[in-house]
Amino acid sequence: MNWDPGLLLLILASSLVPGLMIFFLPEERVVIRSSLNLAGGLLKLVLVGVMLWGVFHGHHYEIRLPLLPGLDLLLRADAESLLFVTLSAGLWLVTTVYAIGYLEGSPHRSRFFGFFSLCVTATIGVALAGNLLTFLLFYELLTLATYPLIVHRGTEVARQAGQTYLRYTIAGGALLLVGTVWLYGLAGTLEFTHGGFVAELVDTHRGALIVIFVLLIAGLGVKAALVPLHGWLPRAMVAPAPVSALLHAVAVVKAGAFGFVRVVDDVYGAGSAAHLGVMGPLAVLAAVTIIYGSLRALFQDDLKRRLAFSTVSQVSYIILGIAVAGPIATIGGLVHLVHQGVMKITLFFCAGNLAETLGIHKISEMNGVGRRMPWTMAAFTIGALGMIGVPPLAGFISKWYLGLGALEAGQDWVIIILAGSSLLNAGYFLPVLYAAWFKPPPDSWPAERSYGGRETAWALLAPPVVTALLTVLMGLLASAPFSPLQWARFITTQEYAP
Amino acid sequence: MNSTLSVFLLLLVPGLPLLLAFPALHSRLRWPCHLALLPAVILLAVPAVVSVDLPWLLFGTGLGIDDVSRLLLGMSVVLWAVAATLLRAPTRQAADNFLTTFFLLTVAGNLGAILATDLVGFFAFSALMGYSFYGLLVVAGDAPARRAGRVYLGVMILADLALFEALLIAAAMTGDLGFETVRHVIGQSAASGLYLSMVLVGFAARAGIWPLHFWLPRLFASARPGVALLLGSVPIAIGLLGAVRWLPLGETAAPDLGLIMQGLGVAAMLYALLAGLIRAQLKLLPAYAAIIAMGLFVTALGAGLADPVAWNRYRNLAYLFIATLGVGLAVLVIVIGWLKAIPARQTDDSTPWLDRWPGAVMRCGGRMGFDVLPRLRASWRDKVGRFRPIPAWQRVLDRSERSLQRWSFAITLFLLLGILMAFVSASSWLF
Repeated sequence: MNWDPGLLLLILASSLVPGLMIFFLPEERVVIRSSLNLAGGLLKLVLVGVMLWGVFHGHHYEIRLPLLPGLDLLLRADAESLLFVTLSAGLWLVTTVYAIGYLEGSPHRSRFFGFFSLCVTATIGVALAGNLLTFLLFYELLTLATYPLIVHRGTEVARQAGQTYLRYTIAGGALLLVGTVWLYGLAGTLEFTHGGFVAELVDTHRGALIVIFVLLIAGLGVKAALVPLHGWLPRAMVAPAPVSALLHAVAVVKAGAFGFVRVVDDVYGAGSAAHLGVMGPLAVLAAVTIIYGSLRALFQDDLKRRLAFSTVSQVSYIILGIAVAGPIATIGGLVHLVHQGVMKITLFFCAGNLAETLGIHKISEMNGVGRRMPWTMAAFTIGALGMIGVPPLAGFISKWYLGLGALEAGQDWVIIILAGSSLLNAGYFLPVLYAAWFKPPPDSWPAERSYGGRETAWALLAPPVVTALLTVLMGLLASAPFSPLQWARFITTQEYAP
Repeated sequence: MNSTLSVFLLLLVPGLPLLLAFPALHSRLRWPCHLALLPAVILLAVPAVVSVDLPWLLFGTGLGIDDVSRLLLGMSVVLWAVAATLLRAPTRQAADNFLTTFFLLTVAGNLGAILATDLVGFFAFSALMGYSFYGLLVVAGDAPARRAGRVYLGVMILADLALFEALLIAAAMTGDLGFETVRHVIGQSAASGLYLSMVLVGFAARAGIWPLHFWLPRLFASARPGVALLLGSVPIAIGLLGAVRWLPLGETAAPDLGLIMQGLGVAAMLYALLAGLIRAQLKLLPAYAAIIAMGLFVTALGAGLADPVAWNRYRNLAYLFIATLGVGLAVLVIVIGWLKAIPARQTDDSTPWLDRWPGAVMRCGGRMGFDVLPRLRASWRDKVGRFRPIPAWQRVLDRSERSLQRWSFAITLFLLLGILMAFVSASSWLF
């Protein structure tokens, strides 16, 4: 009996079913809700582990559900999709633990966790999509599932941020839809293929393929926060910290960045895209985003806003790696998909801890906070140094492969962008660390909550400590089997196989 | 068995200080900083040449000890032990925990860099050492020390960027980043100019070699004695060691570069002699002694680059020089501390007279009624000043951001960019 289709559906169901059940749970059923959430998260991780093992040994998981004549809803687990699935599943579990602690005692938790689970289901669907149609469906579901989370607090600012988010993402989705339909009209298929499925059309439909590429990139660029389409992301930081973590590390921006990987590698193919001449402009756009995001981050006093602009900058490393178009740079881009997620979620968890425990929202309020919350700030320090690219942390590995890939591809200017960005990263992260560790603390904090003798609640403290530890391990043990780097190498070996 | 034990010790030399750096561990121990040095002391007593490959670490790295690294390790262990004794014994106070943590992290980085057998390992350990040493300077220092620390940190970041660039170039040329392989490949390559420049700039900034020395007198002047005595063995010795290990010395003859370096070395010595004599502050004596010694070292490196045969004959002297320089500077710091002849006033303006001449000329011109120069300077300042204040830049960026946050504007702008891109791509194909 073939369990493969069941396995793929089970992975989706492991978050979808708990999510739907949670919607109908009364607010006070905390234990059942938390148990459902955690059980779903753990089950998903186990299933992902099984599929990782299978794919590594050459097994293919696929399920087709006929949707329209000639168009299937196709789910497929390959090495590329599992990279994103593992990231989302792993960080979802950690974020769930964090959210349970963060939202303790607050209203509308069932609604929150219901949409939270739907959001992850959509993300897993995006990752497992085997064709552009399936990708588009889950991509739009992700938009709809995320909106209630952004407006969760119900304030006017949150509502406005949600509206901005919807305008951007729906407009982006429309462009993606137009590009997808046009592409189907030209190619007659939308199924992701190693090396792309438009290679034969490059010479005959060059102009159309370039325009379709622009449409697809515009659609994906909204979620990936590519400048100038990033405007929604800094505004969405009004959402609760677990939602910020979800937006910046687990789901939304990552779905956009992963879409770039799919379009370049499996729709156009790196070779065809380069032949069309679209990779150079894409690389330049990514470079502009990297520098612009960092410059904007420099001037923010609001901690989450600074982190949001940092995301704008850092996510474009992934796009830059893909656009440089060589095996080594692709490894850099792919591995940064994971590394940026783990580092950024650490930073957002810590920002959430500071806000919940001491009422700190601004960097100017962070003087001496390292003495009050040493574990939280130690995790923040690791995340920040990782973002700068200090060895041996995860960010160093990403920058190493991006730089080496640029040299291999003969695009030396990328090194200057990487160096400039690292300098700017240091410029906006090191003053925060200096204030936290070396400046004297104030007499009182803006809104301190007591957690007994501990610096904060366990559920809030454990997640950033775990992800900070992962940041260290992903860098230090980069060459160990099953590290993100090794998996990215595995993907690239397949992608660039003759 | 001996070999297994040695490998274990090799891993423990940076590993134990790293482990003990956790406050939860070292706050329970009486002498954690001394205890952290124990594996290094035992390793020094084992008279074997051992190395261990760590293929799972970073991109695959290694640690090893030979006669040269044994000498440097011995010097470092002695200095770290003295420094640990001079610095406060740890208590359960948070400030002391931080001090001990930064101390132990710096130890791990310093000893790891000495034992590293490849470029990546050296870079990673020396970065750990550098950033932790900044923490040590700042947490143990007063306001001038913090200001000096900030300058040091800025220089170190720029140096790391230069060295990262050199690392990438080396990795692109050869897959194996072991010191010997890189030296050989770079030595044979005709396109090694950028690598050599980056290595020289990177390590000159890290060690404080003239003319990138400006942070060194500040640190010697402001750091407390327990930290100041480490300056010779932490940034300076590791910077010089890095230069020797990363440069293709003994592999290739680069007479032009060698000559330039010899010139720079001599200039450094003359500068430090003059500046030291003019300033005549006892507390700055180790700084200028260090600049003179490094000038001598750079002259020797230049001679080595010009004549590989001579370098191979005398290379061990270079390592001996690095080891004795660290000890010598530490002794100088301790002796000066004992003399207690340091002025009570903490000096943070350590810019020597030689570096202040442009300002003096301007002031002199103004006093004598030559209005041209001051006016020129004022107009220049007015022009540059318009761009200089950060709020002005911020306003520009804020305005652009407000526009970009209107989704219709953002999407339109992007699509226009896309059309431009399509046009450029199509025209490059047609013509």
